Amino acid sequence: MDTFINLFTNGIATGMAVFLLAVGLSIIFGLMSVLNLSHGALFMWGAYVGAWIFGLTHNFLLAVLGAVFAGAVIGTILERVTISRVYGNHILQLLLTMGLMIVLGELIKVVWGPNILISPVPQILSGSWDFGGIILIKFRMFTIAVGLLVALAVYLLLKRTMLGIVVRAGVENPEMVQALGFDIRKVFTLVFALGAGLAALGGAIMGPLGGAISPSMGLDNQLLAFVVVVIGGLGSFVGSLAGALLVGLIGAFVAWFIPEAALAVNVLLMAVVLLLKPTGLFGGGGV
Amino acid sequence: MILQVADLHTYIGEFHILQGISLAVPEGGATVVLGRNGAGKTTVLRTIMGLLRPHSGEIRFAGQPIAGLPAHVIARRGLGYVPEDHGIFSGLTVEENLRLAMRGQQKEERLAGMLALFPELQAAWRKRAGSLSGGQKQMLAIGRVLLTESRLLLIDEPSKGLAPLIVEKVAQALNEIKKETTIVLVEQNFNLARTVGDFCSVIDDGRTVWSGGMSELAANGEILHRYLGIGRRSEKA
Amino acid sequence: MKRWPGYVFAGVILIFLLALPLLTGSRATLNLFTHIFIFSIFAMSYNLLLGYTGIVSFGHALFFGSGAYLIGLLLKNAGPGLPTVLGGIIAAALFALVVSLVIGALSLRVRDVYFAMLTLAFGELFFIAALKLRTFTGGEDGFSFSVPPMLQDRVLYYYLALLIFMLISWFLRVFVSSPAGAVLQAIRENEQRAAALGYDVFRYKLISTVVAGVLASLAGALYGLQQRFVSASVLALDKTMDALMMTIIGGSGTLFGPVVGAALVSFAQEWFTRLARAYTIFERWLILFGLVYILIVLFFPGGLLQAWQRLAPGKRTRPGTVPVPSQPAAAGEKQELTATRETSP
Repeated sequence: MDTFINLFTNGIATGMAVFLLAVGLSIIFGLMSVLNLSHGALFMWGAYVGAWIFGLTHNFLLAVLGAVFAGAVIGTILERVTISRVYGNHILQLLLTMGLMIVLGELIKVVWGPNILISPVPQILSGSWDFGGIILIKFRMFTIAVGLLVALAVYLLLKRTMLGIVVRAGVENPEMVQALGFDIRKVFTLVFALGAGLAALGGAIMGPLGGAISPSMGLDNQLLAFVVVVIGGLGSFVGSLAGALLVGLIGAFVAWFIPEAALAVNVLLMAVVLLLKPTGLFGGGGV
Repeated sequence: MILQVADLHTYIGEFHILQGISLAVPEGGATVVLGRNGAGKTTVLRTIMGLLRPHSGEIRFAGQPIAGLPAHVIARRGLGYVPEDHGIFSGLTVEENLRLAMRGQQKEERLAGMLALFPELQAAWRKRAGSLSGGQKQMLAIGRVLLTESRLLLIDEPSKGLAPLIVEKVAQALNEIKKETTIVLVEQNFNLARTVGDFCSVIDDGRTVWSGGMSELAANGEILHRYLGIGRRSEKA
Repeated sequence: MKRWPGYVFAGVILIFLLALPLLTGSRATLNLFTHIFIFSIFAMSYNLLLGYTGIVSFGHALFFGSGAYLIGLLLKNAGPGLPTVLGGIIAAALFALVVSLVIGALSLRVRDVYFAMLTLAFGELFFIAALKLRTFTGGEDGFSFSVPPMLQDRVLYYYLALLIFMLISWFLRVFVSSPAGAVLQAIRENEQRAAALGYDVFRYKLISTVVAGVLASLAGALYGLQQRFVSASVLALDKTMDALMMTIIGGSGTLFGPVVGAALVSFAQEWFTRLARAYTIFERWLILFGLVYILIVLFFPGGLLQAWQRLAPGKRTRPGTVPVPSQPAAAGEKQELTATRETSP
């Protein structure tokens, strides 16, 4: 039972961190039909900036906010300077964002070195709670809480605000949104910055959750985010959440039995979903 | 003249679609753009709206040049657009579609007036727009553009795919709307065009070939036959 | 290269390459050129996908790496013998054939972005497997093996690599100008149209994937034989990026663009590696490559070769490389969003 709860909370917590990465990827994909391969690198920047600020200030809130800010700023620059030039051309988008991923990843190595760094858990959130024998690790619970809060916030943003309506309308028909008087370019930049900020938030939390950060964490988690986007369906918010939890749980439970196979099982899941139900398990657009 | 277009040329890819379009749309009433399939009617509207970039030529709206401006700027200057496939967002509710057109402002009076024109929309308020019938979708599209409070509406083939009875309803609504707002209408359905239109321009192969009053056109069998394929004598009532 | 000056140019280069071992005794120079031949094959195979079929794969290292691994494993376990080498090359080709068929059949049914995603995932899967199955692959540390004495001779191996490079160039030239090659280019230009003309797009894409996979595994096998050492890094995304950068920098969709790219990238790598010994900042030379690559993707998607052709007066540009919306000289309007974009800076 202990093992089960341990694996379960670990899976859900990891899933939540992946959700933060995947939801931005999914919305950007849905709205601009850009598969942003540099999204994982933004996640990684969040992890490093977070750990760096935390090391300097020992203030976790500041670290997380700083990471989100850094992610959003980098995202805005990327969108404005490069990605906005290749809207509408999938092949160039893939080639471009792959290049961005490489450059952003290498820059991490320039600033923080190529080796694995420790990303400590803040004092307040370290340790665990004991509920009559059921041990809950605090930082995991914190991650789950943050994930739920962000999920709720993103949901309300999409459903209740004017920006949300514009974004959802834009996923469907960007031209008509323009004809109704909205500058879709600005919306794109905003959404891209928002997605990048969420990715960085995911990284800033994934760092202490795993305890260590390395320049390979971007690609690994990006693959998980792809799996989530495929399972969840294009641009689907609910799908991203469900997919992320599924991916987190599968990762945790498979890793317990066969550690080497965790990613493999998720990748196979993605392949199977793509082949059987290419629109994702939760609807969304066509493939 | 609220809208003046002079010698407009537009390319789509490498195809020279508009090869010299001129339009003069007087304020008030409805101007119909007629022409065969592929004559370039839709491209004219899309170019005016800023969804296509003109290669050369002039577009003036209320005296100001608007050629080459981005679509959202043109929309905010007071042009409304209803595309051929009505352009409603099927994943959004009727309410959300309409809120989008109000751009976050409160427009109670305008909304009430619009709903008086299309009472069916009130009933479908919280429904997903995608679940509406074809006629309701068209009404939503026209109702939505009314909420933008545009001075000039560009409406592309509102009769397309609709049953004759519904086309009649649309015609009534357009006749109501044109009392307050100028309309540029692209139509294939000559009956609808004649019911709604006051002025008209005939285009062929991307050029304006005839302009004048609607009654003049109806009397001009030569133009009707040559450019619209409507038989001189066998014209349907 | 239909004009005769092209032949003269190619002839001069060929004579130079044939004479090179006589001109220099430097093993490093010969090794560098051998490296260029091998990566030219790898990049050309990638270009068949990207430049000629319009497919973006991020898992091409899978074929290169498995080619290197197969030859390494066979030589290590069966001992150095020419029959083993031949057997290894055949095994590498067969393995690539089967794997590319399976992955292609699974992945080519979905839209381009999903294909890119899946190939990236499969590629990483192989890489991670190689990292984890240490007893078998040696993981990050890899293992070394010995090759038959004949292939240890650098001059001989140089000529062998040159010969294979030329044979494969010739084969690709024939292939891309064959009817099948024409269909691939039609698919690149407009998939729907190719399908509407009655071509089985899926089957042609599969052919392209298989040919590219087998050629990449041959390049990998040659690489393994040259290095006499193999580690998980041959399967890493970096190797795919090498091929991608070489193709993009040299020019996708032209037969020899990737060769130019392979030469440029290899020379630069060599140069930076030497600089990095003195100044450690140059260990991150990939940033510079990445930036150049990004600039080329943004501004000269046809690659340097085409940029040069376009800038040089009197040279005709070759149409179509990576399918790019033609620069709107007049008013070209291709994509849904460009209307307003073109007006904003």
